[in-house]
Amino acid sequence: MRPENYEAVNHPPSNEFELFFGPNHPGIEGNYALKVKLNGDQVVSARADGGYLHRGFEKLMEGRLWIQNIALVPRICVPDPVPMEVCYSLAVEELGGITVPERAQWIRVLQLELSRIAAHLFTFGGHAATTGMYSNMYWGVADRDQILDLFEELSGGRVYHIYNIPGGVRRDIPTGYLERVTRTLDYIESRLPDYDNLFFTNQVFVQRARGIGAMSQEQALEWGVTGPNLRATGLAFDVRRDDPYLVYDQLEFDIPIEQAGDAWARTLVRRQELVQSIRIVRQVVERLPHVGGPIRALIPNPLAWNLPAGEVYTRVESSKGELAYYVVSTGGDKPYRVHVRGPSAMHAVQVLENLTAHARLEDIAQIMFSLDACPPEVDR
Amino acid sequence: MSRQSLAPQLEFLLQEIEGIRIHRKGPRRVRVDLAAETLPALLELLKGRAGYVHLSAITCVDWMEQEEFELVYHLWSYETRVLVMAHIRLPRDPGVYLSVYDLFKPAAFFERDIHEMFGLYFEGSPDMGKFILTEWEGPPPMRKDFDGEAWVMNHFNWQAYHPDWLKEIEAQGGGITTRPEDVRR
Repeated sequence: MRPENYEAVNHPPSNEFELFFGPNHPGIEGNYALKVKLNGDQVVSARADGGYLHRGFEKLMEGRLWIQNIALVPRICVPDPVPMEVCYSLAVEELGGITVPERAQWIRVLQLELSRIAAHLFTFGGHAATTGMYSNMYWGVADRDQILDLFEELSGGRVYHIYNIPGGVRRDIPTGYLERVTRTLDYIESRLPDYDNLFFTNQVFVQRARGIGAMSQEQALEWGVTGPNLRATGLAFDVRRDDPYLVYDQLEFDIPIEQAGDAWARTLVRRQELVQSIRIVRQVVERLPHVGGPIRALIPNPLAWNLPAGEVYTRVESSKGELAYYVVSTGGDKPYRVHVRGPSAMHAVQVLENLTAHARLEDIAQIMFSLDACPPEVDR
Repeated sequence: MSRQSLAPQLEFLLQEIEGIRIHRKGPRRVRVDLAAETLPALLELLKGRAGYVHLSAITCVDWMEQEEFELVYHLWSYETRVLVMAHIRLPRDPGVYLSVYDLFKPAAFFERDIHEMFGLYFEGSPDMGKFILTEWEGPPPMRKDFDGEAWVMNHFNWQAYHPDWLKEIEAQGGGITTRPEDVRR
C-alpha cells in the first residue's frame, strides 16, 4: 500500500498499536510486508500484505509462445529458479507427448539438486542474520556463489539459467565439469562442521529458535504446509519420492524429518537435506558418464509449435516445498492458462499469519526465515 | 492395504457422487468432472474417507467463449498418493460460488486470489479483500477479455524522451523506431 493511501484507524485508547513490518526491512524476505498489531512487544495479530513483486507472470505467459515462457518462469522464484524451469518443461513435455532422453533427465537432476544446495545455503545465511550472526550470512552467500559458478559454466547464467527447454536441456555439460562439481561439493562438505559450530549448534541461535513458530503436524496439514516445513513436524513426505519425476526413483536418498515443528527443527531439516542433496549429486556425477545418448528430444519448430489440447498438473519438490504448474492448452502455439502453485503461497500468507500471532516482535523475522518463504512465488 | 489396491478403491468411492465422470490420466492423476452443486459432497467424501487432506491448489480457467469459468480443485492424499483434479463449470455471470474454507483452510488464499484476478466471488470465504492488486481499480486482469497491452496504451502516455545523445543517433537513422501507432492499429 502506498503511504498516501493509508488511513489511520481510530482505535479506542489502548496499549495496542499498529506496526508496518516491511516491505523494506531486513527481517523480511524479499519485498513483502506484514501489518502487525502489537501490545508492547507482543504480537496480537498479523496480516500479510503482498503484491510488491507482482509482475503478472500468469497473464504474460498466455501471450507468449510455449518456448518463450522458459525465459519467464525462473524469475518467479529468485533464490531457487531451477525447479520453475523444470516444472514448466515437464508440463509442456507431457502435453506434447515428448519423452526426455535419459541423459537430459540426469543433467536436470544434477541442476535441481545444486539449486537446492544453493537455496538452502542462502536461507541459512539469511536466517542467521535474523539472530545477529552476520558472519554466517557472509559464509552462506559466499558458499552459494561457488554453486553459482557451476551454473554459470553450465548455462552462461548465474541466477537465471534458462537451461531447461521442453524436450531436454540446452547443451551438454562441459569437459571436466563433473570434476569441478565434485570439488565444489567437497568444499561445501568440508564447511559443514564450521557451520555447525557457528550456527546450527550455537546457543545464541538455538535459544532463539527453539520453540519459536512451532506448529503441530495436524496444524501443518490443515494449513497446507509442504516441503521442509512439513517434514519438520514429523511427516516424511517428499514429491521426489511420493510423486516421482525424472530419474529420482533410481536415486538413493533419505527424507530427513524432525518432530518439534519449530524454527530450529525446520532449520535442522534443511541442514540434513543439504547433505542428502550432496549425496544425490555425487550419485549423478558417478552415473552421468555412463548415460549416453542425446541431451534433448527433437521438438517441432518452436516458433510454430501447436501443442495438442489438454491439461496437466506437474509437481516438483523445490527447496521450499511442493511446486506445481497447472497448464491448459487449447491446441494453440501459446498456453491458454498457466497457474503457478508456489509453496510459499501457503507459507508466507496463512502460515506466517498464524505463527506470528502471539509471538514476540523480535521473532517475526526468525519465523519468516525459518519458513523459507519466497514472496515472488506468492505474487507471481 | 497396499498402495496398488487403493486406486481402484478410490474409483469405487468416487462413484458415490451422482453424475460424476472419472478419467484416469496417469498412474497418479485422476480427473473428475462433476456438477458444481455436488463438489462439496465430493470434497467431504475424499477428505473423510480417502485421506485427501491436502488441497494443493484451486485454479480458475476463464472460458470466455462458452461464458463459463472452470474451477479445478487439485487434491492430494498422503495415503493413496493419487492426485484428484475435480473440475466444475460455473456461469461467468454472475460469477458466484461457495467457499470450501470450512473443509480446507488453504482455500482462503486461492479463493481470494481468484476473486482478485477473475472476479469470481466465493460466498463464505473468510476474506475477499484485495491482496496483490491493492491499488488496482480496473477489471479483473486474468479474465480473457482484459487486454493488458491495450490497457497500457489507453492509460499511459508515451514520454517524449529525446536527450541529445538520442537525437544524434536518430539523425543517423537509428534510435527508437517503434511508435504507439505502429504497435497497435
